[in-house]
Amino acid sequence: MTLFLVKRLIMLAATLLVAAIVVFSVLEILPGDPALVMLGVSAQPDTLAALRAEMGLDQPAWTRFFQWIGGLMTGELGRSYTYDVPVSELIGERVVVSLPLAVMALTLSTVIAIPLGVIAASRHNKTLDIALTGAAQFGIAIPNFWFAILLILLFSVTLQWVPAGGFAGWDAGFWPATQSLLLPAFALALPQAAILTRVTRSSVLEVLQEDFVRTARAKGLSRNAALWRHAVRNALIPVITILGLQFSFLLAGTIIIENVFYLPGLGRLLFQAIAQRDLIVVKDLVVLLAGSVVLVNFIVDLGYAVLDPRLRSGGGHV
Amino acid sequence: MSDGLAEIWRTGLRNRGFVIGGIITVSFVLLAAIALIWTPYPVEEIVVTRRFQGISSAHWLGTDQFGRDLVSLLMAGAVNSVAVAIVAVGLGVGIGVPLGAIAAARQGWLDEILMRANDFAFAFPALLSAVMITALAGPGAINSIIAIGIFNIPVFARLTRGAALVVWKREFIMAARVAGKGPLRISIEHILPNISSVLIVQVTIQFALAILAEAGLSYLGLGTQPPQPSWGKMLNEAQTLMFLAPQLAIFPGVAIALTVLGLNLFGDGLRDVLDPRLRRER
Amino acid sequence: MTLLSIENLCVELEGPNGVCRLLDQVNLSLSKGQCLGLVGESGCGKSMTAMAIIGLLPQGMRAHGKILLNGEDLLKADEERLCQLRGRKVAMVFQEPMTALNPVVPIGRQVAEGLRLHLGLTRHEAETRASQTLARVGLPVERFALSLFPHQLSGGQRQRVVIAMALACGPEILVADEPTTALDVTVQAQILDLLADIIDEFGMGLVLITHDLGVVAETTDTMAVMYAGRLVEDGPTVEVFERMAHPYTRGLFAAMPSHSSEGSTTRSPLTTIPGRVPDALSRPAGCPFVTRCGFATDLCSRELPLMKTLGHRHNAACFNIAHVEEGS
Repeated sequence: MTLFLVKRLIMLAATLLVAAIVVFSVLEILPGDPALVMLGVSAQPDTLAALRAEMGLDQPAWTRFFQWIGGLMTGELGRSYTYDVPVSELIGERVVVSLPLAVMALTLSTVIAIPLGVIAASRHNKTLDIALTGAAQFGIAIPNFWFAILLILLFSVTLQWVPAGGFAGWDAGFWPATQSLLLPAFALALPQAAILTRVTRSSVLEVLQEDFVRTARAKGLSRNAALWRHAVRNALIPVITILGLQFSFLLAGTIIIENVFYLPGLGRLLFQAIAQRDLIVVKDLVVLLAGSVVLVNFIVDLGYAVLDPRLRSGGGHV
Repeated sequence: MSDGLAEIWRTGLRNRGFVIGGIITVSFVLLAAIALIWTPYPVEEIVVTRRFQGISSAHWLGTDQFGRDLVSLLMAGAVNSVAVAIVAVGLGVGIGVPLGAIAAARQGWLDEILMRANDFAFAFPALLSAVMITALAGPGAINSIIAIGIFNIPVFARLTRGAALVVWKREFIMAARVAGKGPLRISIEHILPNISSVLIVQVTIQFALAILAEAGLSYLGLGTQPPQPSWGKMLNEAQTLMFLAPQLAIFPGVAIALTVLGLNLFGDGLRDVLDPRLRRER
Repeated sequence: MTLLSIENLCVELEGPNGVCRLLDQVNLSLSKGQCLGLVGESGCGKSMTAMAIIGLLPQGMRAHGKILLNGEDLLKADEERLCQLRGRKVAMVFQEPMTALNPVVPIGRQVAEGLRLHLGLTRHEAETRASQTLARVGLPVERFALSLFPHQLSGGQRQRVVIAMALACGPEILVADEPTTALDVTVQAQILDLLADIIDEFGMGLVLITHDLGVVAETTDTMAVMYAGRLVEDGPTVEVFERMAHPYTRGLFAAMPSHSSEGSTTRSPLTTIPGRVPDALSRPAGCPFVTRCGFATDLCSRELPLMKTLGHRHNAACFNIAHVEEGS
C-alpha cells in the first residue's frame, strides 16, 4: 500500500511538472514576446517596455520558469495585467463558485447515475432497461450548454422560478447562492450522468455473470441482495475510473456552463482572461485546472485501493 | 471480402441502432453535401423586414434576428460541423494511428514515452487545450480544428497500440516474421487491416465528440467566426434573444443532439455488427 | 431415510429454433449421511442437475418433474421459499474456488453472511460461528484471520472457505460440483477427505459431481452415470463397479488411468471413447450414445432404451447388456 502510494505520488508530481513546462513553453516561449501578444501590435513602445520589465522578460526563460514554479508553490501567482490585482486573489474569489458547482454536479451525476445503472442492469432487456439506455443515449447526445439553455427557457423564462443567470454570492446566504448554482449543476451533470449510467449498467451486467454472485445466491441471498451487496461493489471499480476521467470533462464543462449562466467562476475568469489576452492569468489558471485533474485522478487511484483489497495489500499467500 | 461485406450488411439490417443511426448520419452528411451547392435561401442574405418569422411554408423553421432563413443556416452549419469534425478526426487518425502502431511494433522506451505522453494528454481536456491555443493564436475555425485534433491523437494512439499488441501475438504474424517481413510491412499489411473495425467504430464516436466540441467552442466564440454559420454560434446568439424568440434556441440544439445521437447509435450498432465477425475470426 | 428424491426431472431451454431438452427424465435419490456420485463428461447435464437442485437454473430454462427435499417439492416452491432453503437446507460447493469468492469482501464476512441471514445471528455471534466453521475445515483463526481477503489464500484454502460457507448453517444436503477439479492433485485428496469426514460428522447428504471415476469409487455410496442429459446407469457404487452394464460406463472406466498400476512400470494403454457428446439440439432419435457405441444395433438408433433393473437397485439403459457383458 505504501509503495503504491509513493509510486502514485511520484507520478503526480512528475505529471504536474510536465504540465507546468508545457504551459510555460506554449504561453511564454513559443510566442517569442508574450508582452507583445498581450498588448497587441499597436501597443505604445513605453507601455510594452514597462510590461516586459514587470514580467521579467529580460531574464532568461529558465529563470522565469523557476520563479514562476516557486511562486506557484508559495501561492505568489503574480499580478493580473487587466485587473491589476494579485492572481491568487482573483482565483480565490472565483474558486468559491466553481468548486461548489463542480462538486454539486459530480454529486448529482453520481447519485442519479449509479442507482439508475444498477437498476437498468438488474432489469436487463426489460422495458425499464430499454427506456433507461435510450434516455442515456439522448443524454450523451445533448450538448450541456444547450441543455442549460433549455433549462433557462423552462425554469427562468417560462416558469420564472429561478433567475436566468448570475450568482447571488455567498454573502447573500446559503440558499440564494445554492439556488443560483442549481440549474448550472444540473446542466453539467446531465451528460456525465448519462455516460455514467451506461458504464455502471454494463459493468454490473458483467459482474452479474461472475461466479461469486452465484455463490451469494446459493447462500440464500435474494436476487436484489446479491446484486447490491456483492455485485455493485465490484462493479464500481471501473465506474470510479470513468468518474476520474469525467472530472476533466466536468472542468471543461464549467468553462462553458459558467458562461451560459454568467457565473463568476474560474471558467469564466479563464474565458475573460483569454479575451483580454491576460497571459499571466491564463498561464496560472491552466496549470491550476490541469493540476486539479491530475489530483482528482490521484484521489481516484486511492479510491481503487478502498474498493479493491487486491491493490491494498502486497498480495501473496498466507 | 465481398461476402464478408454482404454478411455485415445483412447483420446490420437486423440491428435497430445501426439502421436508425445510419439513416440519421447519412441524411446529415447528405444535407451538408447539398448545402455546398444549394440552400433554400442564400445564407448571408440579411433581410431585416422578415426577421423573427415563425414557421411558414416559405421558411420551414422561421427566420432569425437578421431575417436569415433558419433551414439554410442549419444546412450551412452542418457543412461547418462536418468539415471541422472530418479534419479534426483525420488529424487524430493520421497522427495517432501511426504513433500507436509504432509503439506496438517497437515496444521498449519508445512505447513507454509515447504512452506517458498519452496519459499526460488526457489531463488536458480538449477545451482546455483549445483555450490555450486560442489564447495565443486567436479564435477561429482552424485553431479549433487543431485543438480538437490534438485531443484526438492520444485517443487513437492508445486504441491502436492496445489493439495492435493483441494482433502482434497471433500466429500469422509469427509466420510473417519468419518469412522475413519487417515490422513496418507487417504493420501495414497485417496489423492495420486486422484492427480496422475497432478504429472505424472509434472514428464514429470521435466524430460525434468532435461535433460536440466544435459546437462548444463556437458557442464560446472561440471556434468558427461569423459570418460563417455554425450551430454553436447560433445557440450563443439565440440565448440573448431567448425572451424574444425562444424557437431560435431550440432548432440548432436539436440539430446537434440529433446528429450526435445518430453517430453514437451508428457507432454502437457498428460495434455490435462487427464484433461477432471478429470473434469468429479468432 | 430419503432426504432428496428427484423424479422425472426435465430441464428445457426455449431457443429461437424451438425447445431444446437439456435434462431428460432424471431420477435420483439420496439418503442421510450418504454420498451420491454423479459422473459424466462435460456437457452431460451434471452441473445442470446441481443448479436445478439449488433452484438457480439460468434464466430462460424451465424445469419440470419433481425435486423432493424431505417431501417438499422444490420446483413448486416460490422464490422466497427457495431463498430460505438455499444455504440453510441445501448448500453448494463450486468448481472454481478462484472465482467463487467475492474478491472485495473479507472471508469472515462471506462465511458469516449466511448465518446472519438464515439464523438471525448478530454480527458478533455470526463471526464466532464463522471462525468455528473455518477452523473445522482446516483454517484456524489463529493463522487465518477473518479479515483476510480471498486473494491472500491459495486455491485449496479458498476451496476450504467455500466449503465453510456451505457448511455454516448446517445444511441437510451439500451439492459439490467438481469441487477438486481446479486444485492440485495433493490438495484434491485433502478436500475429498474433508468432505467425507463432514458428511459423517454432520449426517448430511452429499451430491458429488465429478468426471473422475476414481473419486467416485473412493468417496461415494451410490452413483449415477449421465450421458447427453439422461441417466444411463445407476446403482450402489460397489455394484456398478463390479458389473458395469452400460457401454458408456465401461468407456469411462477404460479411459481412466488405472490406480492399481500407479508406480509400476507396466501401464496398460489408456483408451478413449471415440466421437463426442451430441449437442442438445441434434440428439439422435434412439439411444444418445449410438454414434459412439461399439455394440450399437439397428434397434439402438430407432428406439430409446429405458432403465432396466439388473440387480439390487442397479439399473442401466441399454438394449445390449448381455452382449456388453460377454464382450468384456
